[in-house]
Amino acid sequence: MMELKISDLRKEFKDIAAVRNVSYTMSTGVYGLLGVNGAGKTTLMRMLCTLIRPTGGSITWNGRDIFEMDGDYRKLLGYLPQEFGYYPDFTVYDYLMYTASIKGLRPVTARQRTKLLLKQVGMEKAADKKMKKLSGGMKRRVGIAQAMLGNPQILILDEPTAGLDPKERIRFRNLISELSENRLVLLSTHIVSDIAYIANEILLMQDGEIRAAGTAQELIDAMPQQVWSVEAVKEEAASYMKAYKVSNVKAIPGGVSLRVISSEKPAGHAVLETATLEDLFLYYFGEKENDDKDVEV
Amino acid sequence: MTIRMLKYELKKVFLKTGSRIAMALLLILMGITCFFAMDVSYVDGEGNSQRGPAAVAQLRAAQKAWSGYLDEEKIRKVIAENLRIRNTPEALSQNIKEMNIAYGWQQGIEGIRDLLNCSYAEGFREHDYYRADSLTEDAASDFYINRTRLLREWLEDEAEDQFSEAEKAYLIRQYENLETPFYYDYMAGWQQLFEFSPTIIMLTMLILGYLVAGIFSNEFTWKCEAVFFSSVYGRNKAVVSKIKAGFWIVTGIYFMSFLFYSGIVLLHLGTDGWNLPVQASWTSWKCFYNITNLQKYFLIGMGGYVGCLFISFLSMLISAKTKSTVTAVMVPVILIFMPSFIANIDSPAANKIIGLLPDQLLQIKMALGFFNLYSIGGRVIGEVSVIMILYGVLTAALVPVLYQVYRRL
Repeated sequence: MMELKISDLRKEFKDIAAVRNVSYTMSTGVYGLLGVNGAGKTTLMRMLCTLIRPTGGSITWNGRDIFEMDGDYRKLLGYLPQEFGYYPDFTVYDYLMYTASIKGLRPVTARQRTKLLLKQVGMEKAADKKMKKLSGGMKRRVGIAQAMLGNPQILILDEPTAGLDPKERIRFRNLISELSENRLVLLSTHIVSDIAYIANEILLMQDGEIRAAGTAQELIDAMPQQVWSVEAVKEEAASYMKAYKVSNVKAIPGGVSLRVISSEKPAGHAVLETATLEDLFLYYFGEKENDDKDVEV
Repeated sequence: MTIRMLKYELKKVFLKTGSRIAMALLLILMGITCFFAMDVSYVDGEGNSQRGPAAVAQLRAAQKAWSGYLDEEKIRKVIAENLRIRNTPEALSQNIKEMNIAYGWQQGIEGIRDLLNCSYAEGFREHDYYRADSLTEDAASDFYINRTRLLREWLEDEAEDQFSEAEKAYLIRQYENLETPFYYDYMAGWQQLFEFSPTIIMLTMLILGYLVAGIFSNEFTWKCEAVFFSSVYGRNKAVVSKIKAGFWIVTGIYFMSFLFYSGIVLLHLGTDGWNLPVQASWTSWKCFYNITNLQKYFLIGMGGYVGCLFISFLSMLISAKTKSTVTAVMVPVILIFMPSFIANIDSPAANKIIGLLPDQLLQIKMALGFFNLYSIGGRVIGEVSVIMILYGVLTAALVPVLYQVYRRL
């Protein structure tokens, strides 16, 4: 049995509620936690990693409170934080060997796992490089390697693709996919395409709450509004964007083509389209014009 | 597992460029201090000042000629020899070269002559460099008696209100317990070693403070704390390995530094006089601790070690609590330099408090000369014993506090 159960979880920082009454149960598979910056994803993940204690509610692993399990729970855990820090003067190999030691791996196992993971993340040749000399993408790969050192049953990855170029992002996504077998992977991101490909279940988080959860198809099917394609002259585009959530604007000869999310037909000539995950995310997190929230599709 | 963690904790500290610079700086400063500590001069028969190993050998030979028990007969001889030298045309001359020649003859008895100046001083806190020149051989019998007499007079007069009756009795008893006549010998090695010991220990402490200040806070500076605390041993063994790293850094570097310094100085100047009472040197004539030079050496070494451990652990605690390396680095600086700003207060009560500050451990050589006494449970104890025990206990108490503070972050 593998069950990570979150019940009525709350976390308040002074007067600010970062996580509000979240309840959810996860088992094997990849869970994508999607939300804009400030939605409470990192706070939720830090509680799942026992880094901060909740104000209320509980988190249990197979029925046992994770804070009471203490080291026994952390033994099952691999964590890549959003801001992945490192010891600047350590080589990649030293960094992983040290992390293996604090994860309780025996020296022989630590050496084996380090070599295997360095190969898996494509860092074999950079093993003797100092951490401070690595590129952003390489650091992230070391980050995922350290998270995997203890062969964890629970892998928590907080914004693992943040700051990576498109090529690195794809590479990283594939890597996570490879590593997700037989474990619980919780992956937070504000980049839709990251989880569109690899997540079995998606949790949409907003203002500290899980707004919706399910498979991509379930979420799309449950979307209360529809997606329309509207062709308009350039001058009309602004009024559409003001009145509706617009997921895409494309220039076409003689005007623009808009992808509008609306429960009613926005114009007589509007054509009903099949909704995608990107439309869904825009429906939940996007705003009409002057959106200052941080969603990347 | 713990040893591996410890190894990497030490690596974290010593791989930093700043740490390497600090270590190099310590080596340079130690070299300079050793140079000054070894710098003993000898004035030859021509009145020329010599330095280096040859000068040490000649000074040793000159003083060895006067070694032996400082009994009445020896004192008598020293008084007579001093007077003889003082009355030579060279000593009476106004020519510096001639005066130097006279000083050259005096080098063999110089140490005993300094003791005469102390013993026959007008008052307990007086010092007249030329007092020995006005003595006659008849005064020799009072050499040891004067020491206790001057103390008694001081306690009854100037220092009457500074000590309780029990403390006064303790001081007199300590003075009377000094075994006399004591032996006198060449001991420049120990004198020079003691003289510069506070410099070496304080320099080492400042470097140690820099090295250990980041052990806990750097996890946050480097943003490594999330992985650290979410690991299996992140809240227990890994924290212990940090404390151990601090302990071994302090222990290793302190003893390396102190033993290197002692070794160089004693190798150059010799270990002669190791078993002499500290009172055989005029700088410790008034000392109420009846110990030998070797015992004083151990006290200085161990006091410095306890002091460095305490200050370093306090710095580590501040580092763990504030997550700031800069704040933690300031701890040793404040603890070493702050007392010197308040040390000039002429109040026995204030002196008792200042005497308990941890910087005293770094300068046991000075603390041994202070008349700071504490009455604990009806027993009178000297400052050195009190601070050694006090900070030994406090250092031990800091360990679990440090552990709890960091693991709960």
